[in-house]
Amino acid sequence: MFMNAAIIGVGQSVYVRRPQPGQSTHTFIRDAVVAALQDAQIDASEIQGMAVTSFSLAPDTAVDLAWRLGLSLRWLLQDTNGGSSAMNMLGHALRGVETGAASPILVVAGDATGLGGYAKIAANYNVATREHLAPLGHGGPNGVYSLVTTRQMNKYRLKKSDYGHMAIAQRAWAAKNPFAVYREPLTMEEYLAAPMVADPLTRYDCVPVVAGAQAIVIAHPDRCPRGRAPVRVRAIRNSFNYDNQEGDGLQTGISTFAEELWQAAGARPADIDVASIYDDYPAMVLAQLNDLGMIPDHDLASYARREIGERRVPINTWGGMMSAGQPGGPAGGLNGISEAVLQLQQRAGERQVKGARRAVTTGYGMTLYRYGGTAAAAILERME
Amino acid sequence: MSTGVGIWRCRTCGTGYFPERLLCSRCHTHDFMPDRVAEGVVEEVTVIRHVLGQTDWAPRRLASVRTVNGPRITVGLRDESGPGTLIELFEEGNAPFGAAKPAP
Repeated sequence: MFMNAAIIGVGQSVYVRRPQPGQSTHTFIRDAVVAALQDAQIDASEIQGMAVTSFSLAPDTAVDLAWRLGLSLRWLLQDTNGGSSAMNMLGHALRGVETGAASPILVVAGDATGLGGYAKIAANYNVATREHLAPLGHGGPNGVYSLVTTRQMNKYRLKKSDYGHMAIAQRAWAAKNPFAVYREPLTMEEYLAAPMVADPLTRYDCVPVVAGAQAIVIAHPDRCPRGRAPVRVRAIRNSFNYDNQEGDGLQTGISTFAEELWQAAGARPADIDVASIYDDYPAMVLAQLNDLGMIPDHDLASYARREIGERRVPINTWGGMMSAGQPGGPAGGLNGISEAVLQLQQRAGERQVKGARRAVTTGYGMTLYRYGGTAAAAILERME
Repeated sequence: MSTGVGIWRCRTCGTGYFPERLLCSRCHTHDFMPDRVAEGVVEEVTVIRHVLGQTDWAPRRLASVRTVNGPRITVGLRDESGPGTLIELFEEGNAPFGAAKPAP
């Protein structure tokens, strides 16, 4: 547990489906940084460290961003692990503050690829994708996770409508999030009638690419603005290339550390009040919840129908990436962390989960060939 | 087009890999020999119907295939083969494709 490091502020830019002239990855990141610093009530000149992730910052790197932001630092990190980058950066930043390497530390993620830019990234994601998948016309991650979803449906007897419960529940949360790009209510009829993208994935199963950025501030809990509880991370764990792509992709790297995570946090799944589960695809939300031990008897179908369909568990309360939007993979992980912080600080407005005290957040990503190779999870807690 | 799909087989433990690895994940040696897998069984199928940034897209069929004596690979399907079908594998460039094996 981190005793001398906590999350004390969060901020984000607007999210837009298509960046307009004058908007770039850099400007979205700037807006998120300004918002986070204002939220944490910290002056930019006090920042000693920064971690950043983005698919579209190149040719700039982290130090270029520090320069453009006018930040002189003694701790700097650039993470390249896609959907779990935010969780990686969170862990590194907490350790950086806890050990006295730097404080405060900014953790930033943002992208503004545009749809065409994202398609190029998807086709050149790694050497395996460029050489062995893109020539098939695999359609980026949609093609990969359509196969994983079919596998999951067959193994756990899931129906198409089971995934619909998640899309509909998250859209209802998004209606209460002014930053979400899709806020109109979604019905099961609309979900089931949506155009097929990559069988069995339809439009509402595929995370919408947006432009935008998120930022959080890590510092000693004493630096948290007066009247607001800092958010402590009780435990955080990561996994990279957990099975050499030799499994079926229905388990994630979370399965390798879940028991240890709960033990280190001194908590159980039943203690969790709100969950931010990386939702690039509905199937992967269920897979991560299952790996975390949050689905009784590994009965994914009943969980989807009852717990999610009947809104018994608050999952992805900002609308998730599926409704709020995914700014590249990297920032997508940071908005789940930010939302957990807002919930634990009782600052989530209309979507506030009453009495939320503990949250679980996850990251998942970096499709190596047949499914994702990185995963991470953390247990967050409001400090009293 | 060439018959079969090229894989890399560890000379020490015999494990077959696709795509190529630097070290064998089982025995961590780096002595691989080229091998080919000619057949596989279709496990899951998808049809890619829409792709971001593409306005003139013809649907493509993809499948996850369990190769005989080799790894699971993702292939482009050149016919209507479904799950459980034994298919013949072939390569175009570095990409693996497959189609149902003709009846004897």
